[in-house]
Amino acid sequence: MNKVIFSPSRIFIIAKNTFLEAVRQKFFSFLVVIALGIILSSQVFRDFNFGAPELKFIADFGFGAIVLFGSVLAIVATAQLFFSEIENKTAITILAKPIFRSEFIFGKFLGVSLLLLVFTAMMTIILTVLLFWREGTIMRLHPDAFVEGRIVAYADVFLYGIVQWLKFSILCTITMVIASFSNTNLYSVILSFVILLICHLQYLARDAWTEIDFVPVQIAVFMLSAIFPNFQLFNIGDQIALGESIPFDMGARIVGYALIYILVFNLLAVFSFRNREI
Amino acid sequence: MISAIKIEHLTKDFPLGFGHLKLRAVDDLSLEIADNQVFGLLGPNGSGKSTTIKIILGLLAPTSGNCRIFSTPSGDVSSRRDVGFLPEAPYFYRYLTGFELVHFFGRICQVEKSKLKDRVEEVIEWVGLKEAAHRRVGTYSKGMLQRIGLAQALVHDPKLVILDEPTAGVDPVGSAEISALILKLKDQGKTIILCSHLLGQVEDICDRIAILNRGELILEGELKDLVSKKDLKSILVQNYRDDFNDELSGWLRAREARMVGVEQPQYSLDRVFLEHVGRSELARENLSERAEAAMEHKPASGKDSDKEKTP
Repeated sequence: MNKVIFSPSRIFIIAKNTFLEAVRQKFFSFLVVIALGIILSSQVFRDFNFGAPELKFIADFGFGAIVLFGSVLAIVATAQLFFSEIENKTAITILAKPIFRSEFIFGKFLGVSLLLLVFTAMMTIILTVLLFWREGTIMRLHPDAFVEGRIVAYADVFLYGIVQWLKFSILCTITMVIASFSNTNLYSVILSFVILLICHLQYLARDAWTEIDFVPVQIAVFMLSAIFPNFQLFNIGDQIALGESIPFDMGARIVGYALIYILVFNLLAVFSFRNREI
Repeated sequence: MISAIKIEHLTKDFPLGFGHLKLRAVDDLSLEIADNQVFGLLGPNGSGKSTTIKIILGLLAPTSGNCRIFSTPSGDVSSRRDVGFLPEAPYFYRYLTGFELVHFFGRICQVEKSKLKDRVEEVIEWVGLKEAAHRRVGTYSKGMLQRIGLAQALVHDPKLVILDEPTAGVDPVGSAEISALILKLKDQGKTIILCSHLLGQVEDICDRIAILNRGELILEGELKDLVSKKDLKSILVQNYRDDFNDELSGWLRAREARMVGVEQPQYSLDRVFLEHVGRSELARENLSERAEAAMEHKPASGKDSDKEKTP
């Protein structure tokens, strides 16, 4: 009998199917509604007519929307697309085929990550168009404030989108690790949100653990700072909104940091799912 | 000759979550299923059939013992290359069409790209879903789901086909067609494991059976050996009259035989039903003929007779 070997093509088949499932379910309409919401809200901003600070307001608002809805989508979509396979027993039919569980995990990750990329790209493009249009309007109304041309660094807005996509992908792998051992979808979602909170506050633990006297708590806080990624590193929106450009090496370090966590959490999900009884 | 499946001293315990308490689902099961036969795996609910199937498919790890498929350990992914599986009450991706679903599983099984489209069309036609192939699976009736499940199990032309309740929710015509398809698969040299509570169907098509109860194998053997009354013979006579009884009894007594009773032979209700719904070819006594006939008379509409869901 020929040996079945690890196959990237099976990963792409699972990924494509996962993405197709997400798009044909309610996720796609969810994306469209969010995007439309952002576009429509620009009508409200137009009446404020703040001048240049209005652009910072729009950028902050847009970045906030990307982070909020992207995080929700990363957790809910992953839990739904991964856990429902187990809950609905479609995983039984797939895993009864000649396919490695690692291929299944990687395929699921790639599919959800592609969905998150589409979402982030869509939101970033809409935000960019909105900023560009509003900046043009304000330039005509207050030409003195734009003597050196446009002030929004649009390349950095796209960099922000890429960085957030990587953050969502880390969140997706964390959710997948949880879903690989949890028994209910709700548990996966709630625990993932708790971990999202920990990741956002991780920098506090990292700064505080050396100052804690009680050793067990010190160890626990150190573990928190060591295991969970620091999501504050991905928060480059303030710099962009203030008109500061993002240095290349900083962007590269963030990308590297994200890729390492994505790899590690993917491997953890494979390890956890490998012996799961379906 | 290599067995299709060889199970040796297989035991499976599930922890109950209270200390060290465990539920023994399969208890020291040893079973050998030869190649090219229809094997019925029977037993009441909770007897360990599904657990055994999941161990065969590598979805569960045994607590002890081992299982091999064509000599390859069942935990090895390679062992599933030649296995097709139809799960009980199959749930598939509702957003895919029947064609896309079978195509997806064909690609997972690495059916050659150049042959995949033809193969998908072929198995979809076999199961009688040709005209519904481009409808979303979410709109399929229960019977149609079983058929598309059968198509995905056969798309990579496996040597071993495991069918868990393939006729659950299927009407008698669909059930007879699936039986005929199983016999056709056997004719093609495949081994089929059938789990079913429809004992009439099992009796009709299985060569051997095994009965599990509370995880233990309680009976196994050739079906005809297990069900035949070996010390009795029946004679079918045309134009028999009741007044023959005394004379015939005497004749038999003189030869140290005894007439036990005179019965009126009956058609099975399945046969009566199939003849009256115009599918008499499925009701032929000769099973091979029935398989051939079923293949020649595929359902024209590709629909089930049970009510379909509204898209």
